[in-house]
Amino acid sequence: MTRQPDERGPQQDEEPLEQFLERLVAGEPISRRSVLRRFAAAGLTVGSASAFLAACGGVEGTANKGTTVDVANVSHPKEDFSKVVFSNWPLYIDQKVIPPWEKEQGAKLRYLEDYNDNEEFFAKVRQELESGSGIGRDLVAPTDWMAARWIDLGYAVPIDKANVPNAKNLQDSLASPPYDKNRDFTLPWQSGITGIGYNPKKTGRKLTSVKDLYDPAFKGRVSMFTEWRDSAGLVLLGMGKDPTTATKDDYTEAIARIDEENKKGQIRKFTGNDYTKDLAAGNLWACIAWSGDLVQLQADNPNLEFLVPEEGAMTWSDNMLIPQKPTTAYGAETFMNYVYDPEVAAVIAAYVNYFCPVKGVKEILAKTDPELANNQLIFPDDKTLAQLHAYPSLGAAPERELTAEMQKVTGA
Amino acid sequence: MSTAGANAAPKSGGGWFTLRRRRALLPAMFIAPGLMWLIVFYAIPIVSQLWVSLQTGNPDDGFTQTWNWSVYPDSISEYSDQLIRSVEYALTATILCLIISFPLAYFIAFKAGRWRNFLLLLIILPFFTSLIVRTVAWQTLLTDDGFVVNTLQSLGVLGENGRLLATRTAVIAGITYNFLPFMALPLYASLERMDRRLVEAATDLYASRWTAFRKVTLPLAAPGIFAGTLLTFIPAIGDYINAQLLGTSQNYMIGNVIQSQYLVVREYPTAAALSFVLMLGVLVIIGIAARALGLRRLSEAAAA
Repeated sequence: MTRQPDERGPQQDEEPLEQFLERLVAGEPISRRSVLRRFAAAGLTVGSASAFLAACGGVEGTANKGTTVDVANVSHPKEDFSKVVFSNWPLYIDQKVIPPWEKEQGAKLRYLEDYNDNEEFFAKVRQELESGSGIGRDLVAPTDWMAARWIDLGYAVPIDKANVPNAKNLQDSLASPPYDKNRDFTLPWQSGITGIGYNPKKTGRKLTSVKDLYDPAFKGRVSMFTEWRDSAGLVLLGMGKDPTTATKDDYTEAIARIDEENKKGQIRKFTGNDYTKDLAAGNLWACIAWSGDLVQLQADNPNLEFLVPEEGAMTWSDNMLIPQKPTTAYGAETFMNYVYDPEVAAVIAAYVNYFCPVKGVKEILAKTDPELANNQLIFPDDKTLAQLHAYPSLGAAPERELTAEMQKVTGA
Repeated sequence: MSTAGANAAPKSGGGWFTLRRRRALLPAMFIAPGLMWLIVFYAIPIVSQLWVSLQTGNPDDGFTQTWNWSVYPDSISEYSDQLIRSVEYALTATILCLIISFPLAYFIAFKAGRWRNFLLLLIILPFFTSLIVRTVAWQTLLTDDGFVVNTLQSLGVLGENGRLLATRTAVIAGITYNFLPFMALPLYASLERMDRRLVEAATDLYASRWTAFRKVTLPLAAPGIFAGTLLTFIPAIGDYINAQLLGTSQNYMIGNVIQSQYLVVREYPTAAALSFVLMLGVLVIIGIAARALGLRRLSEAAAA
């Protein structure tokens, strides 16, 4: 399979007009989260609008109502189901894998690309979750820290592992994240690295370290994410600390460091996914970036490089999770099982370019697309994997305070 | 208010429903749709904002009503930078809009002849696309290696390493561009219906062209200037798109703070308090303008 952008399989036929127009104007390569993220950042998607309304109306809390789940004795016996509803991030699947599954199961997959932003999606469904009802989805795809929140609050349904035999193909490095040690509730959809993206032509030299972001020569040409888990995590690595085990005070210190650089004018912008456009246009010389985006950008702009800094990088997964009161947990599990078939996972990996949580995919792609199979950003080797660090689990209140601290630095 | 009475009245019928009473009810019936609009889309949201702003708590454990009035001084002092910046940017952009729009409107009204409608269409045309798309297009225009920056650099206006995108200049320019029609159109309307013979009369009476402009044209255009100023300044002060897309975090305005307090930090009381302060501020500005100009002239101008 080749990876020409126009051969990446069918586009969504319900692409929002604004999104389409914007891509037209910007001439930007298709990037998974980019466009919607930007709208989300600007608070303009329908989702944000409803989050906004929810914010105006409801001010009940989401703290744990004391539900405990027996994960050992989960049983979702085989049942007939007519459809499974999956809310996933935009441009995050090759849609041609869906029809074979539908045929096999005699059911429909309603695949929604309405998961644009972790906080925003949560804000949207929060009230339904609080009231104990279902959210009209059988699968959602929260990032690790948000998955942790769903599990903590008792909004996740444990997986009946007997229905997901292919889960054995899960990469060892992803098998036991701190928030779900035995993968009782989640299975990774795709993973990625948060590292540094840069343009060597602009920087005039190879970068090696997180500290290179502070090089005065790059003043005003550096960007970071608004999300503290990524930005402060990387900065902590630069300070020689392990972001996974770091304390809240460590993060506060890292955020203060970011503030210092920002006040000096070193940092041009704090971004969501919209850094991709500025990086491609040469407005940014070096920035904190997500690996899959860089693989996609390199297709058009081979000069760009993705760096896993010598101090290490952050890694994350977006996880399939069954929200409370699904219409069919069994159906959701059959789909999980299906995408953990290496043949299927290979098709998805070739399309989305993030790194693949399923074992055996590399071997399959080595035959069909060796270049892709050797890409360190899609199939990192053990040496790279050893350099990657997970997000911390600091608890709801400290994490909320850090979000507020980071927002203060990023200007709002 | 009296809408229920107005609807129920015909059914109760009979002797009570005399012509005199019907006449008395008529104004209420006419005002009802507007009043409902105002209640549903203005009064209720404002009261709800006020209510939420006085709560304390956090998004995980919930918020409870504590009548915490200190949220107002606290959030104002916390975000005073962004508040002042909003006023500064909106004011600068409004003045720039006026400087650009006046000659433009003057030309279209008096000199454009048969091109007049075409030129008006040209002013409005870009606004058929969405605000975001237009602003993103500016990102492309002002890009570091782009034509605009390169030209300004070779002219020496921008330093060797200078940039436009992600600066204060870009944000103010973006706001100016995005709100230009709100200034240009009311100005055009007030100039267009001006009686040109008054200027002729002034020059006949030995006024220089400058004096005639200052003493005749300008006062007659005043309602348009005021209407345009309000229509530009008010949306500009709450704008956050331009700061978001063309600025850096150092250029963020109060709208950016409100947006992020609602959707990212989920600190609803602060967000509600800031929204309320902004709304109150705008009302005060309108009040001052109304005072200075007289309400009648103001609504006349708005009707223009």
